[in-house]
Amino acid sequence: MAATPFPARQLSRRSVLRGGLGAFAATAAGVPLLSACGGNDSGGNAKEMSFWNFYGPSDDQGPQSKWFVDTVAEWNKNNDVKVKLRYIPGKDYLNGTTLQTAFQSGQGPDIFLISPGDFLRYYNGGVLQDLGSALPDESKKDYLPGLLEARSVDGKVYGLPMEIEPLAMYYSEAAFESAGLSEADLPKTWDQTIAVAQKLTNSKRYGVMFETLPGYYQNFTWYPFMWQGDGNAIKDGKSAFDSPAAVQALKFWGDTIKNKVAPRKALGDGGGDVVSNLGSGAAAMQQSGIWAVADMRTKAKTFKYGIIPLPTPDGGSAATDLGGWAFVANSKGKNPEAAAKFIAWALGSTDAAGVERQRQWNTVVKTNLPPRKSVQEAADAKGAFADGALKKFVSQIAPTGKPEPRFPPEVYQPIADAIQACQLNAADPAKAAADAAEKIDTFLKTYQGAPIS
Amino acid sequence: MVTTTVPPSKPAVKARAKPKAGMTRKRREALAAYAFLAPDTIGLLIFVAIPMVLAFGVAFFKVDGFGNYQYVGLANYKLMAGDDQLWASLKVTGIYVVTFVPLAFVVSFALAMLVRNHFKGIGWVRSAFFLPNVVSLVVVGLIWQFLLVDKRGALSKILAPFGLGDVSFLGTPSLALGTYVVISVWFLMGYQMLVFLAGLKDVPKELEDAAQIDGAGSWQRFRYVIWPLLRPTSFFVVVNSTIGAVTGLQAFDLVFVLTKGGPARATSTVVLYIYEQAFTFNNMGYAAALTTVVVAILVICTGLMFGVTRGGRFDED
Repeated sequence: MAATPFPARQLSRRSVLRGGLGAFAATAAGVPLLSACGGNDSGGNAKEMSFWNFYGPSDDQGPQSKWFVDTVAEWNKNNDVKVKLRYIPGKDYLNGTTLQTAFQSGQGPDIFLISPGDFLRYYNGGVLQDLGSALPDESKKDYLPGLLEARSVDGKVYGLPMEIEPLAMYYSEAAFESAGLSEADLPKTWDQTIAVAQKLTNSKRYGVMFETLPGYYQNFTWYPFMWQGDGNAIKDGKSAFDSPAAVQALKFWGDTIKNKVAPRKALGDGGGDVVSNLGSGAAAMQQSGIWAVADMRTKAKTFKYGIIPLPTPDGGSAATDLGGWAFVANSKGKNPEAAAKFIAWALGSTDAAGVERQRQWNTVVKTNLPPRKSVQEAADAKGAFADGALKKFVSQIAPTGKPEPRFPPEVYQPIADAIQACQLNAADPAKAAADAAEKIDTFLKTYQGAPIS
Repeated sequence: MVTTTVPPSKPAVKARAKPKAGMTRKRREALAAYAFLAPDTIGLLIFVAIPMVLAFGVAFFKVDGFGNYQYVGLANYKLMAGDDQLWASLKVTGIYVVTFVPLAFVVSFALAMLVRNHFKGIGWVRSAFFLPNVVSLVVVGLIWQFLLVDKRGALSKILAPFGLGDVSFLGTPSLALGTYVVISVWFLMGYQMLVFLAGLKDVPKELEDAAQIDGAGSWQRFRYVIWPLLRPTSFFVVVNSTIGAVTGLQAFDLVFVLTKGGPARATSTVVLYIYEQAFTFNNMGYAAALTTVVVAILVICTGLMFGVTRGGRFDED
C-alpha cells in the first residue's frame, strides 16, 4: 500500500479559531488600507484624464456619442493634458455599481456626469472640485438664474449644467380623435385630467400615464405636482413634507390608479419613454421630458402628438421640474485643475466656437433647453424653438420651472416610499406624508453636509 | 513496488517506471490533482473567501463610499433593530422562501417523474423544460415583462374574456411577489428536474420490480420505494433552493429587472435592500453588516436542516 503523498493535517477546533481570529484581526487592520491601494493622488498633474459618461463613444455612434467624441478630440488637439472618454451604458451608470465602486476604491474618474439628485452625495463625499478658478465671470453671468446655484455651495460652483430638461404632458392626437375629443378637451386641472383620461381609456389603452417604477426619476417627475400647491419637502432646514400640497399631490397620483385610467407598469424604459408608451398607443397622455421630442423625431417620425403644461390642482399654480445633467471634476483625481479647465472650456466657453458647441448639443443632437443665454439666442436665431413642441417648452413650460432638488438619499427615500405607497398600494396620503416627514426630520437632526435645497 | 514487477526484457517500460526527480507516481498523481484543483481553489479564495472575510471586517466601519473608513465597533449591527425597511425586506424574503422552495420542489419533482421513462421525443421534452435555465436572468426578466404588460401582454389577452384583462401582475403589490415566485419556479424547474432525474436513476429497478411482484400499486411503489430512496436528493434540493432563494441570482437580478423592489416595496428582498444601502445610500459598512447577518441566518437554517436530518444521512434510519 502506497504511502499518502501529503499526510493530512488534523485541524483542531483551536487551530481553526486561531486562524479565524488571525484572519479577522488582519482584516480589521487591513480594511482601511483598501482605499489606499492604487488610489488617486489628490491634486496631481497627470497628462491624461478619464471622462466617464453614458453617451460616447457608444456602439451605435449616434449624434450624441459623436458630440462627445468630437468635443474631446477638439480639446486634445490643443492641450497637453488629454481627455480619454469611457462609455458606461446608461442603465449601469444610473443604477449600477461602476461609479460607486470606483470612488470607494480611490479609482474614480477625473471628470464625470451627475444629476442634481446625486449632487450632495458626491459633494458631501468630498470629491467635487471647485470649478470657480477655471470659470470666467463672463461665463458665470451667461447661465440662466438658479442653474449654477443648484450646483454651488457657499458661492463656489462645483458643476456646470450641460442642459435643461423640463417636464410636460405629451398627448396623442389620434387617441383624442378616436375618443371624440378635441384640443378644447385638453386638461388644465387634475380633475379634468382624470375625467378626460376616463374617456380615453379603453381595453388597449390607458388615458394617462405617470412613472410607476421606484427611483430618483419617479421622484423627479412627482415634485412639480407638490410645488403646484406651493408645497416643498424641506423648508428652513426642517421637513415641510407633511403639508396639504404634498398630500393632495400624493392623492392625485393614487387616484389615477384607483380610477383605472393609468397603468401600474409602463412599457419599454419606463415612464419617460414616450416612444414605447404614447407612441405605441398604450397611453393617450404621458408625462415626460423635453428629451422625448428628439426620441420621437428619430423613432416615431410620423406619429402626431402635442404637449401641454402639467395640469394643476384647483387654485394651484403651474410648475415643472428643470432636470439636466452636469459635468463635474473629481477633486481627488489625477489632475483636478486641468479637469476643471476642460469642463469650463467644453460647456462654459463664451467664444463663437463654445456657443456653437452648446447649440449643437442642446438643439441639434439632442432636444434640451440651453442653460446659457447666449446659446439660447444662437438657437433662436437658427429657429430651433420657432414652432411645435419645443416652442411650447420655451414659451409656456420652462418659465414655470424650478431646478431639480438636490436631496440626499436619506431625503429622497422616504418621499419615494410615500409616492409608491399612495400611488400603487392605496395608502392614506396624509399618513404617508406624515411618516415621510418624520423620517426626513430624524435625518435632518444629525445631517452635517451642505445645505439641502 | 511497481519497478520490481516490470520484466527486465522491456527497457522502455522500465524507463517509464523509473522515478523522476525523486518523485513517486502517487506523488506525481497527487500533484496533478492539485494542479487541476488549483484554478478553482484560487478563484474561490480570491473571489469568495477573501471578500467574505473582508466584508466581515468592513461591517465594523462606517464606510462612506468615497474611500473613508471610520471604526464604529458594533454600531452597524445596533442600527438594524430600528430599521423597519430591513424587517420589511426580511419578511418579503421569508414569504418568498416559504412559497418558492416548496412550489419549485413539487413542480420539478413532478417534471422529473414525467420525463423519467423513455418515450419518443424525450430528449426534446427534457430540453424544453431545461431551456429557461440556460437563459440569462436579465433576459428572463425582460421576456416576462413583455408577457405581463398591462392590458397588452399575452397573459392579459388570455384573461380578458374572464374580465381579468386589467390585472397588473407586476404592478399590484398583492400580486407582484407571487408573480415573481412563479417566474423563479419557471426558471429553476429545469435544473432541479435534472437533479431529481439523477436521483431517480440511482433507485434500483429491482426494488421497484420486487414491490410490484409483492402487489404494490404505482402509488405504493412511489411512497414506499422511490420517495425514501430520494430523500438525500430531496434534502440537497431543499437546502440548495433555500440558499438560492435568499442570496441567489433570482433574489436580485430578477427583482432588479422586473420591479426594482416595487410596487410599494412589495418585492424588496433583503439582497436588494443590501444593494440599496451599499450603492444608493453609500452605507457600505452597514451593507456589509447586513450581509454577515444574512449569511449567519443561512448558516443557522442550513445547520438546523442538517441537524433535523442528522447530516443528511437518511440511509441510517
